[in-house]
Amino acid sequence: MTSSGISFNGVSHTYRPPRGRPVLALDGVSLEVKDREFVALLGPSGCGKSTLLYLLGGFMPVETGTISVAGKTVTGPGPDRGVVFQNFALFPWKTVQQNIVYGLEKQRMPKPEREKRAQELIELVHLEGFGDSYPSQLSGGMKQRVAIARTLAIDPLTLLMDEPFGALDAQTRTLMHEELLAIMRRTPKTVVFVTHDVREAVYLADRVAVMTARPGRIKEIVDTKPSTGSRAEFIHTQEYTEKVDYLWNLVRDEAIKAQGEH
Amino acid sequence: MERVNANWRRTLLRSSSVILLAVAWEWGARMHFVSDFLLPSLSSVLTRLFEDIVSGDILVGLGLTMLRTLAGFTIAAAAGIVIGITIARIRVIRWFFDPVVSVGNPLPKIAFLPIFILWFGVFDWSKIAMVAFSSVFPVVVATWAATESVDKYLLWSAESLGVSKRQLLWQIVLPAAMPQVFTGLQIALPISLIVVIICEMTMGGQGLGGSMMTSMRFADSPGVFSGIVAIAIVGSLVVKAMELIRKRLLVWHEENAH
Ligand SMILES: Nc1ncnc2c1ncn2[C@@H]1O[C@H](COP(=O)(O)OP(=O)(O)OP(=O)(O)O)[C@@H](O)[C@H]1O
Ligand SMILES: [Mg+2]
Repeated sequence: MTSSGISFNGVSHTYRPPRGRPVLALDGVSLEVKDREFVALLGPSGCGKSTLLYLLGGFMPVETGTISVAGKTVTGPGPDRGVVFQNFALFPWKTVQQNIVYGLEKQRMPKPEREKRAQELIELVHLEGFGDSYPSQLSGGMKQRVAIARTLAIDPLTLLMDEPFGALDAQTRTLMHEELLAIMRRTPKTVVFVTHDVREAVYLADRVAVMTARPGRIKEIVDTKPSTGSRAEFIHTQEYTEKVDYLWNLVRDEAIKAQGEH
Repeated sequence: MERVNANWRRTLLRSSSVILLAVAWEWGARMHFVSDFLLPSLSSVLTRLFEDIVSGDILVGLGLTMLRTLAGFTIAAAAGIVIGITIARIRVIRWFFDPVVSVGNPLPKIAFLPIFILWFGVFDWSKIAMVAFSSVFPVVVATWAATESVDKYLLWSAESLGVSKRQLLWQIVLPAAMPQVFTGLQIALPISLIVVIICEMTMGGQGLGGSMMTSMRFADSPGVFSGIVAIAIVGSLVVKAMELIRKRLLVWHEENAH
């Protein structure tokens, strides 16, 4: 098995819009994500979570600091890091099925295999019967599930997920949590998972990193791996509730600071 | 049966203003508000049109006109899309074309007519070149804008799925730009029609525009009007065809999601 640990080293990022002042979005972020570890990122809106993910994805150049995956410095995007974007970024001219198999086509997987895989994924995200629909004909939650399926299709070693369940209703979200955990058991991956939902973060992640209000820094990292038993049991323990409370307070403090800026 | 009736009613309703104008025309002409020469009745114009169709006269003219239109339009479409894309993606090309487009776009292209005659002669090529030159600008502008405004997240997600930089243009940029590019083509097509008629009127060489001028010289006003009716019908059919192609091509687009 190849290793796929991630390391952020003093990463800063400044946006320079053509008009207006430069915005310092990230300020010296350092974070280690171990191989096959699931790390959730929490932080107030606008603190730079997506920015951090885009840098890790290799979509924007890292100007200050370094990011490396599996010991190699990130210089550009690649299918070793699967990304689920906050705004889905589905290809509107492709059907659900075509969106899902697109990455597999690029890997030159033979057609029958591709189609079989697509069918499995469509079932996994509960979109049976929508394979031939276009994204414009789907609800927000359905689009999000297509985006998840499309990324899972290429079975990347590293998963970067930007609020991947944000548009889902509570029931579907719970289902997706179970599916994700099952996938992690079958084929463990290194995951960086951005969310606003503290309970979701504690439930899914091995560790939760809380970011400060903009400019984003890592404020605190909390271990959330259940000390005993499974995750399904974990959710009913005192330990879980305490961690949720603790993290919730951290995030709230930062959210208030972010508000105060305006 | 119900469906068919409903469809007919909808079509009738949508063309009711045209029908109203036609009735007003016929009525006005029959009341002799103006002389027959200035405004021949619609029925006489239609009769004339029918005769011209049967004799084949108008079909030859129409064929020539449409050939010139479509030839010029196709050149404009192909050149416009290529220029639009390269402007958006290649710096030198942009440096060269940016001022050319800003000066050329609002320019009344018909001003170049004498020069085009000088360069290409009075036959088909000068007309086709004129049509292409007049129609290329909206295609360039639309393609340029479309290519530049392709959602960066689409490019990013394609790259993270393993699409190479070289494949991005064909596989992501072009399909994403398609709706706007097609709008450019839909603007260019009527321009092609207008310009071809003007060229034929001023340069002769048959075609609908040419025969309308001939009719006018012979004081044959039903002939002029039947030319107008013919070009109106063909023009609206061609524009309608573009709309249908658009629906077909862009089934995926929000505009077609019901
Ligand atoms: N293209 C851009 N140009 C200029 N500034 C930007 C740009 N993108 C983001 N920013 C700024 O960078 C900061 C971080 O943005 P980012 O999208 O990373 O936040 P986020 O933590 O993902 O927020 P959210 O939880 O709302 O998605 C924001 O405050 C925003 O103002
Ligand atoms: Mg974000």
